[in-house]
Amino acid sequence: MSTLCHWLSLMLGLWSLASLADESLHYPADPSAGPPHTLVINAALDLPQAEPVLQAFHRLHPEVELTYHNFTTLDLHQHFLDAPDAADVMISSAMPWQYQLANDGHAREQLSANALDWPAWARWRHELFAFTFEPIVMVVRRELDERYGALQGHADLLALLERHSRELSGRVVTYDPARSGAGYTYAIEESRLSPRYWELVAALGQTRAKLVDTTGEMLDGLVEGRYLVGYNLLGSYAREVVAANPELRLVVPDDYTLVIRRLAFVPQHAPHPETAGRFLDFLISETGQRILAEQTALGAIHPVLNGPGTAEALRQELGDALRPIDLGPGLLATLDDLKRQTLLMRWKREFSRYNALMP
Amino acid sequence: MTLPDSLYRRLLVWLLLPLLALGGLMLLLAWSEARRTADRAFDRLLEAATLAIAEQVQRQDNKLWLDLPPAALKMLATDAEERVFYSLVDQDGSLVTGNAELPGDPRGDTESDDIHLFNDIEWRGLPLRQGVRRSRLEDWRQREHFEVRVAHTREGRDALTRELLRGNLAYILAMAAVAITVLLLAIRAALAPLTRLRRAIRTRDPRTLEPLTLPLPRELAELRETLNDLLARMRRVHANQERFIGDASHQLRTPLAGLSARAELALRQEDPARWREALFAMQTTSARTARLAMQLLSLTRLNNPEYHPDLAPLDLNVIARQAVRDHWSQCQRSDIDLGLEEPPDPDPLIISGVDWQLTEALNNLIDNARRYGARCITVRTRATPPTLEVEDDGPGIPAELRRGMLRPFHRGNEALEGSGLGLAIVEGIARSHHATLTLDTDQDGRGLCVRLVFPEEAQ
Repeated sequence: MSTLCHWLSLMLGLWSLASLADESLHYPADPSAGPPHTLVINAALDLPQAEPVLQAFHRLHPEVELTYHNFTTLDLHQHFLDAPDAADVMISSAMPWQYQLANDGHAREQLSANALDWPAWARWRHELFAFTFEPIVMVVRRELDERYGALQGHADLLALLERHSRELSGRVVTYDPARSGAGYTYAIEESRLSPRYWELVAALGQTRAKLVDTTGEMLDGLVEGRYLVGYNLLGSYAREVVAANPELRLVVPDDYTLVIRRLAFVPQHAPHPETAGRFLDFLISETGQRILAEQTALGAIHPVLNGPGTAEALRQELGDALRPIDLGPGLLATLDDLKRQTLLMRWKREFSRYNALMP
Repeated sequence: MTLPDSLYRRLLVWLLLPLLALGGLMLLLAWSEARRTADRAFDRLLEAATLAIAEQVQRQDNKLWLDLPPAALKMLATDAEERVFYSLVDQDGSLVTGNAELPGDPRGDTESDDIHLFNDIEWRGLPLRQGVRRSRLEDWRQREHFEVRVAHTREGRDALTRELLRGNLAYILAMAAVAITVLLLAIRAALAPLTRLRRAIRTRDPRTLEPLTLPLPRELAELRETLNDLLARMRRVHANQERFIGDASHQLRTPLAGLSARAELALRQEDPARWREALFAMQTTSARTARLAMQLLSLTRLNNPEYHPDLAPLDLNVIARQAVRDHWSQCQRSDIDLGLEEPPDPDPLIISGVDWQLTEALNNLIDNARRYGARCITVRTRATPPTLEVEDDGPGIPAELRRGMLRPFHRGNEALEGSGLGLAIVEGIARSHHATLTLDTDQDGRGLCVRLVFPEEAQ
């Protein structure tokens, strides 16, 4: 168990690009609106993405004194294990960890009308609710397109890397699965999708791809021009940076696209379960989801929404290529200590396959 | 609130209660059977999952190694979205990997051939079904035992159990409905003869004492026979009464006819001396008739089962002395020796009784003795138990006739005058005093000794 904990802390610490500092938002209660309520949300979701929903909820329920803490996924998970009765709502993109907490019985059942109507593929029991739809994307600099033709999917990337490994040496960036939980999760999912993934890893090794910890680092390097291709970036964060930098292009792979979904639950020992349930209900209500679709890059799931920024729109665009990470007990296998070691050994072996041959 | 007792209700309660208990038992059995079936079906999943995991266990870097197949965990979560737990434990019982420390095989017998175990456990308050597979790593050199444990929550099993039970429940409910309907009809049918008997009794002519003849089931036929016995007894009582009335009217008619004839004869005479003679005779006859009428009345009263005299404490010695005093001169005239014997103890002999009835009884007994030719009559009292005796040296009554003597109008000797009511009246008085009447001989085996033994006075 102790090795597992060690590993957890290491991985979770490097999970997302959420800042390490404790960020908070506070919305005081309006005393004229009625008897005051308190709500504490602990999340791994950046403030700019979270703010529109929080504001809308507070407008609807001004009597609620709302406190929002943004943590890294490690801090969030550790915080929860230390004090399971501190937060009213837990939000995180670390799907396996959220699933593990719910599987162990830490989540409270929600039976509001919206919760009961929520599509089965986006929830687990009525305890764990997925409320976003975030594709894992590639980001390329337009100069790459001009030189080698437009990159559209994994097959293109593999062909590009194999053909021009010397020219692209050091100019490709991706997650280090050994140090980043997100990178590890994507690696294990992709290795399950196709054995050709290992060819891609070998090709990445051949081009001496840079391995980093967060989407943020990748985006910084791409903006600065240090990298030409970024592989496996969190789409919701990349989208805004790409929009602000015309020399970058967002590639949603057309052969397959992993999709992660942020998961929210109300802890069993939440201090204000009623208000928490109301917030969760708002998060998956049509109103809340519309705000996600229109004012954030998180992607809304609600089945009646089909405009831009929704899962439905992405589905129409990509069809069968979408591979949402399954919200089920397979996630527990992802967290298995030995499994991780097995995968990482294989990953390292494949990554250095050609390097070992070279002098 | 208490409901009035009823056979219908009793039968209903005693038949419905076991029926309901039986129904409950069937439900329980159906439930446990459904649960067993569901468990059997779902235990296959546990078995498959442990197998899928066990197949991936290998030895690497000198320790147990597992590349956990996600499918093994996925197959444990059905549509019911069960919580899933797994662990791999080496032969020392320490956890190699897993998301929960499951208790494993409680038997602790790792050499047993039975490599599977399914049991219900509780883990952190969650009721789980656990599947354990004991396996062995076959290496070139070493053999290493290990245990794969998987568990999941019961939602899927419970859903299947409910589904199976629903099918059985409809069955059981239909059977219960049929059973209860049949039961109600059967009780109604079984109690119908009772209603017939009631109707038959109610519609009878109230004056008739004829036996009931309607056909009835055995249990009620016994009741009918008992009723018929009662009716027969009533017929006999009725006949006795009629004979008594007949006898009584005969007894009264004879002296009255005699009086009438005597008066008529006297009226034809002119001689006042004859008149006087006739008047004497008529006076004797009318006195005797009056006495007879009085005896008949008191006998009728004593024979009335509803008659309960008010008993008062009185002294038997006083009654006996008074009776002897009353009869003294009469007996002297007839040259009869009338005596009184009292216990030496001077205390009064107190019993509960009616003084005039006891006096009457003594009068009857002394009269009888006199009339049947006794020369010596002794009235005797005894203290414990309180006893009143009249003993004479007359002819006595043979033992076999003594019972008959107690019947009204029964005379030991038809030739002698007397009503034949004396002993019957004494017997009635004895009965109303709860006393025992015995007829016996005196100490020497001669004559007659009539003994009234009173109950001991409760102090």
